[in-house]
Amino acid sequence: MKRAERAVTFTVEQIADYAEASGDHNPIHLDGDFARSVGLPGIIAHGMLQMGVLATVAAEAAGGGRRLRRLYCRFAGMVEPGDTVTFAADVTEPGEPVLTKASAEYL
Amino acid sequence: MGVEGKSYPAVSAVIDPERVADFARAIGADPEDGVPPTFAAVYSLGATAPYLFGDPEAAVDFAKLLHADQEFEWERHPELGETVTSQGRVVSDIRRRGMRFVTFEAQTTGVDGSGICRSRTLFVIRS
Repeated sequence: MKRAERAVTFTVEQIADYAEASGDHNPIHLDGDFARSVGLPGIIAHGMLQMGVLATVAAEAAGGGRRLRRLYCRFAGMVEPGDTVTFAADVTEPGEPVLTKASAEYL
Repeated sequence: MGVEGKSYPAVSAVIDPERVADFARAIGADPEDGVPPTFAAVYSLGATAPYLFGDPEAAVDFAKLLHADQEFEWERHPELGETVTSQGRVVSDIRRRGMRFVTFEAQTTGVDGSGICRSRTLFVIRS
């Protein structure tokens, strides 16, 4: 079984870079006052930024991103700047060109 | 109910190498590794979701929108410089306990019509 793991502490800068690179400029990711005005604790990281890191870790475990056939993720909690998220991927069936298990842990 | 079953126009986009490299850096991937799998957030979901958000009939309150879950399924991954076409549609639109749950699917194909990616998103719109 091949495993890859990475812990990332998300920053305001990384979230802003992701907004720019992805084109997702929803102000809940960029403007703390706006985020609080809609009932959020403040700026939150894009779910897709986290899924992007997850896919990168999954690709590392699987031997390259092109081997990914399916990736699913439920965004179960809000991630704020300063939060550290551990991403782990295990390839449990090395003969299959599929990522079979992935998880995100929220500290 | 709502806009369940509604399809939006297909949109074509080029997988721009510079944009891919910026995206890779933003997610902590190596830009040398080619198109990151979740660049589908740009060429598939990102290309099609603005039609949903801008649809007066769908009436999605963007400020109350949360991305609740996401699935991508690839037949293959696109190449740098490739032109891909994506089309979005609303699979379901349900209201429950004051919340609205919109499942949005985008299909991405190559210029020859071959399948590339299916993106399936659950949006939750808080009341």
